[in-house]
Amino acid sequence: MEQKKILHLVDDTTAGGVMRMLDHLLAQSDLSETVDQKVLKVKRTAFSWGKLNADVIVSHVVPSWRSLPAFSALRAMHLDTRLVHVEHSYTRAFTTLNVPHKRRFFAMLRVIYSFFDQVVAVSHSQSGWMKERRLAASEKLTVIPPTVDLEQLSRNTMPPKSKTTIGAIGRLEQQKGFDILIQGFRLTRTPGARLLIFGEGSQRLYLETLAEGDPRIEFRGHAEDPAEAYQAVDIVAIPSRWEAYGLVLDEALAAKRNVIASKVDGLRDREGDTRVSFCNLDPYDWRLAINNFLLSNTIEKSS
Amino acid sequence: MPTASIVVPAYNAEATLAETLASLQAQTYDDFEIIIVDDGSQDATSEIARAHQGDTRVRLVRQANRGLAGARNTGIAAARGKLVGFCDADDLWMPEKLAAHVHHLKAEPDVGVSYSGSALIDEAGCMMGIKQAPRLKNVTAAHVLNRNPIGNGSAAVIRKTVLEALAYRPSFETERDWVFDETFRQSEDIECWMRLMLKTDWQIEGVPGLLTHYRINAGGLSAALDRQLEAWERMIAKLRPLNPEFFARHEPSSRAYQLRYLARRAITNLDRDKAWELFARSVQESLRPVFEEPVKTFSTFAAALVLKTFGPGPITRLGQMKSKLQSI
Repeated sequence: MEQKKILHLVDDTTAGGVMRMLDHLLAQSDLSETVDQKVLKVKRTAFSWGKLNADVIVSHVVPSWRSLPAFSALRAMHLDTRLVHVEHSYTRAFTTLNVPHKRRFFAMLRVIYSFFDQVVAVSHSQSGWMKERRLAASEKLTVIPPTVDLEQLSRNTMPPKSKTTIGAIGRLEQQKGFDILIQGFRLTRTPGARLLIFGEGSQRLYLETLAEGDPRIEFRGHAEDPAEAYQAVDIVAIPSRWEAYGLVLDEALAAKRNVIASKVDGLRDREGDTRVSFCNLDPYDWRLAINNFLLSNTIEKSS
Repeated sequence: MPTASIVVPAYNAEATLAETLASLQAQTYDDFEIIIVDDGSQDATSEIARAHQGDTRVRLVRQANRGLAGARNTGIAAARGKLVGFCDADDLWMPEKLAAHVHHLKAEPDVGVSYSGSALIDEAGCMMGIKQAPRLKNVTAAHVLNRNPIGNGSAAVIRKTVLEALAYRPSFETERDWVFDETFRQSEDIECWMRLMLKTDWQIEGVPGLLTHYRINAGGLSAALDRQLEAWERMIAKLRPLNPEFFARHEPSSRAYQLRYLARRAITNLDRDKAWELFARSVQESLRPVFEEPVKTFSTFAAALVLKTFGPGPITRLGQMKSKLQSI
């Protein structure tokens, strides 16, 4: 059987999660017989990415007005090629917090998605949003959650033994909402509780200021081995302001940790999973959730 | 099911409720229900409401007093329409108001809240010659925080789905969800609209025209102004975690606008010290109102200065002159 050529386009600022997902996809040995997959780095602002040789072209590029020429050239130069776009970036909560002029933004997305034969949402919540905002025709929309290799993480972690340490793992950026978590945690008074924060980013100084004077909060920096980070905590907090999918939630569950997550976007796909509880983006809500977790510890001990 | 539900929160509103209901019953778009929420009134509010129930579109819900936000929330819970409008029991809707919003929301599927401008009326129902003519298009969260284009509690018609997106249930609430935060006795509107701007991707947009007659009650105490400022600050503190960068950028200018608004209220109350103090604080907070609305800011300054220097005499005479001019 002839191999089909699949070309993945990523732009040079693509986030780490996308590359991890692609690495995992390209490593699937059962696929390699029937498809030949390649990754091509492209410049988002280029006028065109040229004529590409493939049966299917999958775009992981972030749509924007500046990438509109390249997207339209992609369609124009590959009229007979199947074009698929995977939307890794944009969500309802992203739009709410980052886009002052939504009408223009939705128009841009509608135009760019219209160039594609298929648009892939990475979560059901994201797909629901795309339908509600009529960003892509529903017959073009598919939901394919990204997957990464979690086996190693699962193998190298033991279930938590206590209920005292809350962990947050991710880039220290506004998106991740660690400021809300720190404020919520500070409202709890339990002396034995701890909050460990793994990751680096532009908000480090700001977050350290928020945590100042509370010795229970520790910044551990970037974790070389994620298994070690998960092993060091009893529950994982994901207070993200927006999250198209949220791989960290899958990681935490693979590492046998329960999760408290904010009720936004792709994280909501886990609603109903008993291992995950949800919070609003409000420090008082987080205090309540953290206290519930710490309290369940003392109840178990006494019984 | 009616297309629209109009929620009328009413607390001791016997003097104005009948007129309000008449203005709603006279809407040119007629597929709607009216939900009067009697919020524990001690006067004839309920009797007046019941007298209107000959019109099958009118429904009455009674509850122990919860305040304006609580009355609106009860109305929302009872509403069956896909669209929900609000009209306080002392305000009036122009006959074409509902039609304008229904058409607007049908034509613009990404717009969740449709509002209009208002003309101000006094206690006697006379036009004061003052209008609220807000920005109608391209409204951002910053516009809402600075100048709240929705303007008053009787200006907006909202999709039920938007209200559902805003709804939450505090742990101590046993009856129904909250959309408006009932812990607020002032600033409950702006708190809700700002939450809408910071938590949902719905757009808000206005339609042209002064389609609400919004009643201003004269008088009021300066203590009330302090409480109003306090509620406003609590709204900011509550919502800041949603988007700290947004508030870092826009808080000073919005506080300046808020202080200027309160200074104008103090001038109306002829409270010379309060007016001057509030205006001075506004200018110290941010100069954006000076640049963005120089005429209004300067007139506030002039009135506060005259009041401070010469006392209430000139301001009162100016007010009398103005109302004489209008009556001619």
